[in-house]
Amino acid sequence: MKHHLPWLICLLLFASVLTICPVSPAVAAPVTYKRTVEKYQIPDVILTNQFGKKVRLKTLLESGRPVAVDFIYATCTTICPVLSAGYTNLQRKLGPDSAKVQLVSITIDPENDNPRILKEYLQRYQARPGWDFLTGSRKDIDRVMHAFDAYFRDKMDHKPLTFIRGADGSWIRLYGLISSSEFMAEYKKAGLL
Amino acid sequence: MTLPMKVPAERASLLLLSILICVVLSAAAWAAPVAVPSDETQRLGEQMYRKGILPSGAPIKAYVSGDVPVDGTSFTCVSCHLRSGLGSIEGEVITPPTNGRILYQPRKPFIPGSEFVPSYSNYAKYLPVRPAYTDDSLAALILTGIDPTSRSVLKVMPRYDLGEKDMAIMISYLKSLSDQPPPGVTKDEIRFATVIVEGTDPVAVQSMLAPLQFSIDRKNSLSTAAEKNHRVARMGYNMLGDLSALRFSLSRWTLKGAPATWRAQLEEYYRKEPVFALLGGISEGEWEPVHRFCEEKKIPNLFPVVDYPVLSDTDWYTLYFSRGVRQEGEAAARYLYGMAELFKGKPVLQLYRASRKGQTLATGFRESWKAIGGGAMTEVRLSANEKLTTKKVLKLINQKKPAALVLWDDAASLSALSGLAAQKNRPGLVLASGTYLGKALWAVPEELRGLLYLTYPYRLPQEDSRFDVNVKRVLQGKPLELYEQRIVRQSYLTGEVFGKALMMMRGEYYRDYLHDVIGMMSDMHYPLYERVSFGPGQRYASKGSYIVQLGSGSNPVLERRSEWVIP
Ligand code: HEC
Repeated sequence: MKHHLPWLICLLLFASVLTICPVSPAVAAPVTYKRTVEKYQIPDVILTNQFGKKVRLKTLLESGRPVAVDFIYATCTTICPVLSAGYTNLQRKLGPDSAKVQLVSITIDPENDNPRILKEYLQRYQARPGWDFLTGSRKDIDRVMHAFDAYFRDKMDHKPLTFIRGADGSWIRLYGLISSSEFMAEYKKAGLL
Repeated sequence: MTLPMKVPAERASLLLLSILICVVLSAAAWAAPVAVPSDETQRLGEQMYRKGILPSGAPIKAYVSGDVPVDGTSFTCVSCHLRSGLGSIEGEVITPPTNGRILYQPRKPFIPGSEFVPSYSNYAKYLPVRPAYTDDSLAALILTGIDPTSRSVLKVMPRYDLGEKDMAIMISYLKSLSDQPPPGVTKDEIRFATVIVEGTDPVAVQSMLAPLQFSIDRKNSLSTAAEKNHRVARMGYNMLGDLSALRFSLSRWTLKGAPATWRAQLEEYYRKEPVFALLGGISEGEWEPVHRFCEEKKIPNLFPVVDYPVLSDTDWYTLYFSRGVRQEGEAAARYLYGMAELFKGKPVLQLYRASRKGQTLATGFRESWKAIGGGAMTEVRLSANEKLTTKKVLKLINQKKPAALVLWDDAASLSALSGLAAQKNRPGLVLASGTYLGKALWAVPEELRGLLYLTYPYRLPQEDSRFDVNVKRVLQGKPLELYEQRIVRQSYLTGEVFGKALMMMRGEYYRDYLHDVIGMMSDMHYPLYERVSFGPGQRYASKGSYIVQLGSGSNPVLERRSEWVIP
């Protein structure tokens, strides 16, 4: 077996990719979503919105309006369509009052998602006033993810998470791919609808 | 599909069984002649699948979990099942293939041909088994979300109300997805080529070729070893599935003469030797004819070494390292925009050489500066052979009183800046391109170093040297100094991404899928680039630049003056 060593090594080299996916996939995403209530410290960072305007995150999230936050990115697959369809539907239900509820999406791919791309994404989902999509430096985005206990080392570790701010400043954390109707029910419970 | 010859008895019979099943299935597929979709059906199907638009022109409606319909123009099949139809994996969420060939086979708890591959991309391990679909049960799934085992898949997969005619078009399109192996792929070989523009510096060409050839040879030596030794064969199969026995080849396609004639040369090369994909490639100038050729023939090209990539939001087939020279101009605009305190109503002065590089940088700067709402800007163009003098620089500074001078030229203009630092009304900073200066970057006069800021779209050299060992490995003992550092590092990346992608493809060697799997890769930390990242549809691996200054002393290093600036 000894003289096979070079080949084994060669194999391992070629297969190095196998070791870089430590997360165990699929199945882990809960079939029904998980709901918990948490306290988070929002970091004082300045992010940039879809119009290229600077936005102080703390001000946006603690404006007193009902607020929901999710983490997405413009080119993401299954997770984002489902989360964003939830936002689209909520805004549709709100009708002309859409701006009364502040919906925030924060990109986890700041490298790609510049304001132009954020704007196009929102247009694609027929977003109305009240839904903002934010980007920033990687450092600031990392801080925000950490603050929500939602740090993704990589955008491919992305998890479906939505946060709804309760009246007392606590956050309802929803983990899982939620159907639109479940989304609605949660928003109603939190007083967003 | 070469299977390892000696496997334990029970495994062998299992394999035999699966081969038999495959044979029976494919025989069945041949027996029932599949109606070839007309071009029009194909086009309409593609429009539904990729754009979410019905043949009538109306948006397709997705009923997301029994709720209000969402227009298919927000997202549609392609958003989740991807362009190849072979599905996606993101974090914990798996979207299975939706191409006819796989739908019309029963799903086993593993991917045939990758039974033992522990890979993340072995999606079938994480989904329940199901029998083969038929046209009727497939239509039912799309309409109601109920699969042939009566399981509801509605949680993430929307429901679609398609009329009978539209459904037939959709199903015919799904059958055409990733169906026939593309040119360049046979059951025991995958062919690649690399395009070299004649007249390119030979050191640059070698630097591009060496790491690619290494990747190819490494793969082939595994196949050779597997042929000679069944233990290696078995191990290879367990780890790489079908891929372990495949051989790769890399041809060199040299383009001669004027770019206008390249198209015909490419056609001729491709006619003689169809390849699955182009790897690397190199040109010091034009690349567009190769880009267009790949787009039209649907041939992937992974990372040509070029300064002027074709920039497009929609082109699909060529992946570039970056947006090229232009990206530095864009990053410079973004960086300056963040220094509002500098301006106070004063303009930025852009002085640029009328060379391709100078103009490309200037265009990148100008367009970004306008798009982000930068303030006043004046521009001066230096004709190709005009020498920039100190006198001219000072005159411009006195006239325009710029807050910042953006200078796009090679080292020739540096001497004209001498004495500038001592001027009272000098601009707050001078911003230039580190790559345009080339090696002269290391010889910027001491007195200028405090004033001169440079775009530098790579990891800083002193931090990148830790990757030397990786790069040396692919050069197989040849000294690093024989190669051009930037190019050999870029090409190293090409070899790695391509190897990784082929593994992730788990036997499905389809061109669109090659790009789909690269789009699903995690961000990578490779030589040269701080972060190489893709997402579905993203076409530029590295998207920003640092702003640096040259430190002082006779052996200076680059010092970072910014975070990674994303234009
Ligand atoms: C929001 C993401 C999403 C969109 C959009 C989407 N799908 Fe799906 N699709 C999925 C997921 C996830 C599954 C797997 C669900 C499961 O098995 O529980 C799936 C399953 C399927 C299946 C069943 C596969 C099997 O092996 O049983 C088919 C067929 C299918 N989709 C076709 C389509 C078509 C056609 C469209 C467009 C009209 C489409 N999908 C749009 C996410 C999506």
